[in-house]
Amino acid sequence: MKKSIDAKKGKGPKAKLSNDQLLTLYRNLVRADHFDKCYVRRIQAGQLISFYHAGEGGLAPGVGACSFLRKEDILWPHHRAHAQGHMLSKGIDLKYYLAEHTGKTTGCCKGRSSYHWSFPEYGVFGTSGCIGAGFSPTVGWGLACKKNGDGQITMMCCGDGGSNRGTAHESFLMANNWKLPIVYLIENNGLAIFSKHEDMHPTKDIADLAKGYGMPAVIVDGQDVIAVAEATLKAVEHARAGKGPYLIEAKTVRIQAHGVGLPDLVDYTPRSKEEIDELRERDAILICRERLLTEGLLSQELIDQIEAEATQEVADAERFADESPVADQLDLSDINKLVYAE
Amino acid sequence: MREITLIEAIREAYIEEMQVDEKVFLVGQDIRGGNFPNTTGLVEMFGDDRVLDTPISETAMVGSAFGAAQMGYRPVVDFMSGGFAYVAACEVLLQSAQHYFQHGGNVSVPLVITAGVGAGLKLANEHSVTPHAMFLHHPGIKVAFPSTPYDAKGLMKSAIRDNNPVCMFWHLALMMEKGQVPEEEYLVPLGVADVKREGTDVTVVATGLQVKHALEVAANLESEVSVEVVDLRSMEPLDYEAISRSLEKTNRLVVVDEDTERCGFAAELIAQVVDKSFDLLDAPIERICIDNMPIPGGYLEAHVLPNPAKIETAIRRVIA
Ligand SMILES: Cc1ncc(C[n+]2csc(CCOP(=O)(O)OP(=O)(O)O)c2C)c(N)n1
Repeated sequence: MKKSIDAKKGKGPKAKLSNDQLLTLYRNLVRADHFDKCYVRRIQAGQLISFYHAGEGGLAPGVGACSFLRKEDILWPHHRAHAQGHMLSKGIDLKYYLAEHTGKTTGCCKGRSSYHWSFPEYGVFGTSGCIGAGFSPTVGWGLACKKNGDGQITMMCCGDGGSNRGTAHESFLMANNWKLPIVYLIENNGLAIFSKHEDMHPTKDIADLAKGYGMPAVIVDGQDVIAVAEATLKAVEHARAGKGPYLIEAKTVRIQAHGVGLPDLVDYTPRSKEEIDELRERDAILICRERLLTEGLLSQELIDQIEAEATQEVADAERFADESPVADQLDLSDINKLVYAE
Repeated sequence: MREITLIEAIREAYIEEMQVDEKVFLVGQDIRGGNFPNTTGLVEMFGDDRVLDTPISETAMVGSAFGAAQMGYRPVVDFMSGGFAYVAACEVLLQSAQHYFQHGGNVSVPLVITAGVGAGLKLANEHSVTPHAMFLHHPGIKVAFPSTPYDAKGLMKSAIRDNNPVCMFWHLALMMEKGQVPEEEYLVPLGVADVKREGTDVTVVATGLQVKHALEVAANLESEVSVEVVDLRSMEPLDYEAISRSLEKTNRLVVVDEDTERCGFAAELIAQVVDKSFDLLDAPIERICIDNMPIPGGYLEAHVLPNPAKIETAIRRVIA
């Protein structure tokens, strides 16, 4: 599945992951899955506010791309699973995000934004409800990274739907003009709400676009977290070395409906159980687990331990969020104090 | 008379106009089905060259309508959510809206911009804004905002037939609201307000969901205050006559607008009233809008939105 688009620039030796790194990928994937399931359960139970876009099936690209970034690298994560896999892989403690998503004062946006994330100390400044919005500030983050001159890079993640925004073109253009240290990760799950990628984009691979900007690109199996991580390490190395942007397209899947509670239509007909079962066959956790078992890095004992730790982490986050005070007081006597920085 | 929902009423407007005019077509994301019920089944009726799904490419989405409109088509562009219209602000506001004047009146641009709008789901600013002021600030586009299924259908039909760009958002909280809609064809002209409740003590001017809120308050206060509720239905063209007629009776005014207060429609309307009808006023005017801040998500949202309690307080202040 892994295929080099730009034969000249896209090829090279495979980045080798250490045993620790392989285990980190597995652990992060399991944690992301636990948080995703927690959000689905909570929104169905009325214990999460606004909406939730379940990540099942599509968690590996974010985990693979973000597990080995530096803390100071800038990240615009993809909205699916509300970026939880990306964020926990970057080192962010997700309890502050759950508190936000439950409207608590301890939330990462002080309970002001329901689903927006913001962890500037981890290079995650924020998000937008407008899909594709991240492409624009990415140019600025890339520019600032370059000016900073210490190898800092920007990781910009987006779905196949979001990359159809005009902002993608402008971002690719300037990033390549200015040789900015940016890695674009397109998480192509073949769907945008109810629309199929093939009906909305003239070619099968979004990575084809890169050629027009002279940007190296690679397509990876998005169900293989190790493949994503290896491709990312190479792309990041390229960007850190001052060689300019790089595009990775990870082919992945969306198992649930676009948003929890919405009908699961594709082409205006419900997807069949068979279709979904087929997608489930290539489960990213199982693929990774099998590989690590074969390599002797995982044992049943360790698998159980990782499960138990993830369960505990989610339970701790839930307790933190649930015990935090509701953010329902707003002092409107001096609005400008809220809206403008000092 | 039969009752149908507001969203069904809009669907009927599309169907009727598409049946009588083959130049009418719809563009938007996931509008072939699934998104909102106003386009359900239309692709089966009219084919997928008249009900066009687009990628998440709002700029080109409006562009397709703007270009085709110049060539005599009558596209309806569905943005899904009003906040996404910002993405194509230049194409909507500086290009579509102002093309006619700028080019000597040579080429008209008959297109409709529509979307669900309105806060209440704790989704924060992008998914909650009702950005009418942005449109009103760009002369060349008309702006309607219905409060009932009857008005929604009649206004949408007028919007499609209009030779100018027309923005007609509809409020998400009214989507499934039912109301009487006749089987026979009718139009609601743009620029004609409707007095939704007669009264003598105070005039409340509103649009969209806020008309419903104003009517609720008026009913609750019935034994104390006689409230007249004027539903403008469209803000451009503006039926100023209807407002002054009402003020002649009541001499008191409250304006409710679900948009940011600063430089909003309420500010404009109040300025016009002060200009043209100052002598009719017996009390300072009150306005209830969204506070001058981004609409927060979470539980904080409720603080900044207009609501019946705030409208009641305003009414009590102007009659005090
Ligand atoms: C500017 C804008 N247009 C439309 C939407 C509505 N919308 C939200 S998510 C989405 C689909 C995104 O698809 P993709 O980028 O492929 O990511 P996925 O949801 O499939 O993971 C759309 C159309 C939006 N939020 N913002």
